[in-house]
Amino acid sequence: MIQLENLSKKYEEVTVLEVASLSISKGEHFGLVGNNGAGKTTLFSLLLDLIRPSSGKVSINKIEVAISEAWKKDTAAFIDDAFLIDYLTPEEYFAFVAQLRKVSTTELDVFLAQFEEFFNGEVLAQKKYIRDFSKGNQKKVGLAAAFIGKPEVVILDEPFANLDPSSQIRLKKFLTNDQNTDCTLLISSHDLNHVTDVCDRIVLLEKGSIIKDTPKSPETLKELEAYFSAQ
Amino acid sequence: MNLFSLQWKESFRAPQWEAKATIKILIGVVSLYFIGSFLFLGSVVYPALNKTVLEREPLEVFNSVLLLFFFAELIIRFFFQQLPVTNIQSLILLPFKKRQIVNHVMLRSVFSPFNLVPFIIYLPFAISMYRDDYLETQALAWWLALLMTTLSLNFLLYIINKNNTYFVALVLLLLGTIALDVYAETDLGKMVGIPFDAVVNKPEYLVGFLLLLCGMYAVLFFFLKKSFYLDAGLGKKRTRVSGGEYTILNFLGDDALILRNDLRMIVRNARPRQIALMSFLFLFYGLVFFTQDIYRDMEYVMVFAGIFVTGGFTMTFGNYVPAWDSSYYKLLMTQNISYKKYLLSKWNLMAFVTAVSALLAIPYVYFGWDILAIVIAGAFFNIGLNTWVTLFGGLLNKTPMKLNVKAKAFENTQGFSMTQFVLIIPKMVLPVLLYWLPSFFISPTAGFISLAGSGIVAIILRDKIANWVTELYKKQKHETIEAFNK
Repeated sequence: MIQLENLSKKYEEVTVLEVASLSISKGEHFGLVGNNGAGKTTLFSLLLDLIRPSSGKVSINKIEVAISEAWKKDTAAFIDDAFLIDYLTPEEYFAFVAQLRKVSTTELDVFLAQFEEFFNGEVLAQKKYIRDFSKGNQKKVGLAAAFIGKPEVVILDEPFANLDPSSQIRLKKFLTNDQNTDCTLLISSHDLNHVTDVCDRIVLLEKGSIIKDTPKSPETLKELEAYFSAQ
Repeated sequence: MNLFSLQWKESFRAPQWEAKATIKILIGVVSLYFIGSFLFLGSVVYPALNKTVLEREPLEVFNSVLLLFFFAELIIRFFFQQLPVTNIQSLILLPFKKRQIVNHVMLRSVFSPFNLVPFIIYLPFAISMYRDDYLETQALAWWLALLMTTLSLNFLLYIINKNNTYFVALVLLLLGTIALDVYAETDLGKMVGIPFDAVVNKPEYLVGFLLLLCGMYAVLFFFLKKSFYLDAGLGKKRTRVSGGEYTILNFLGDDALILRNDLRMIVRNARPRQIALMSFLFLFYGLVFFTQDIYRDMEYVMVFAGIFVTGGFTMTFGNYVPAWDSSYYKLLMTQNISYKKYLLSKWNLMAFVTAVSALLAIPYVYFGWDILAIVIAGAFFNIGLNTWVTLFGGLLNKTPMKLNVKAKAFENTQGFSMTQFVLIIPKMVLPVLLYWLPSFFISPTAGFISLAGSGIVAIILRDKIANWVTELYKKQKHETIEAFNK
């Protein structure tokens, strides 16, 4: 589904990311962990063609992201605030994304209904613009919108940050439910517990390089904890 | 004292100081030009009035139109003066007395370029008075009275700025006064001049102006002190949601998507609202030129004015595409929409507004069919070509836009680059040449056909031009995202 070849990103002479080769198959739940500055957001931004690689290339569905725009119809992401249109209400924002993804209003209503618990009555029908919501609720809007129209690839940067504990658990439940098993899900997180719960493959980044790439096993969490405490 | 040192750092570490040297020099020159022109205005008004209005004293004439001055000042201040309140949030918990902070905020507002008006307009007039046959105390008293009035207006603005209803009420009141004076031939406007006439005869009356100023200060002081809580006056205001469905656009299908969003963007954010209102004023730009007989024979001036009448929105709005979308540019760059479609919907919006402006400009036929023809030909040029030139110019503008913050006058260096300056040539000089050359060598009709024709050809070739501009945008994509991320 996603292929990376000889991908690197340098600022001036400092290399912030260097990945010789990485391939993520369809339906994989891919978890990216690493300390601040390890290159997680850089990697995701390169996947989405938001920054220009210093070398190498990225393909999604065999489409090279730097050349064609066709990958956009199968891919959705929520990286940061710059994915929210803050002068819209959540309803208007969802409708905007749904229209871009060719999802009808009725389908959208059905889709949003499953987030009732996650939204906790604080997101829909509030008659407020997104800019007036709390950080946590803004995040919920962005996360839900990323799944509109069942995109094949969903990329989420730190989806658990800023959410309250109940919402984190509800989000985890949503990410692991049946309808998302076909979805190629890429998430990064500082929360080792959550990321090992949701993902079936864990990649550890340090200073821009992949130093560990394993399928999840019962020992993964312990190994990761051991790694980060030794740092 | 502490507060002032913070202030000092804030102003001198502000991003606009980091602008390029060329821009600084240019801004310096432009400011000097404006100060110079106002100084000139201030110093020629008195002698001019002395010569032309023989039966009345120049001072009396000037005083009688002061209401118009105040009116214009209030409007300009309302749109452009940014009140220094928002950055107080971080101080609120520090051990300053409330009184101290409120006084500081109010004093700070006095150091605004708008308060230079008494110095650059009224002071030269006062000096002319003294040079004529007024006593220095009289001239000084008159000037001080105006200085205090300006400062009172400065504080008044604080109160109305928080509340659009006050502003609208005040504007209606002033307009009503002017209308009564013009149509019912009352003298309400002149009554505003009476205190200023009086203070010249009896400088003691200055006490009255001082009381007005102190009163204004006191009212504002208590107003601000009362609202000195984050959720009351100083913090960000929560806006109520209204409308925004624009179902009327549904016939456009998919194209309506970005367009609808742009309309919401304009209606719901301070900065684009300000630009939209300004571009509406451009409609009246023609009145400046078309009413003057001296310009009648200067065709290039007519074309220049004609371009502005319908092109105001295109030139002001288009200049900030894609910066308008800077706060969610990453979304647009990853969502299921092509760059070309994005640009075309911006084009549609500008073309639509230009067409509506052209319809609204029909009353210009009052000045002659040839004038209307120029305006209409200019509209075609604006739709066909100017839209793309401004879209290209906007691409060079890599400063992220804070949508819900009003622009500060004299600080609006956003996206100003030499290239944009050069773009004035295709925007303004090209249409003049397109009209004037055929008109000069063949006939005015040929000029009209040439100007309108260039626009029509460009409209026919819209798709080709769109592809070309899209390529330019694509090349700059990563730089733009990076710049908007700051």
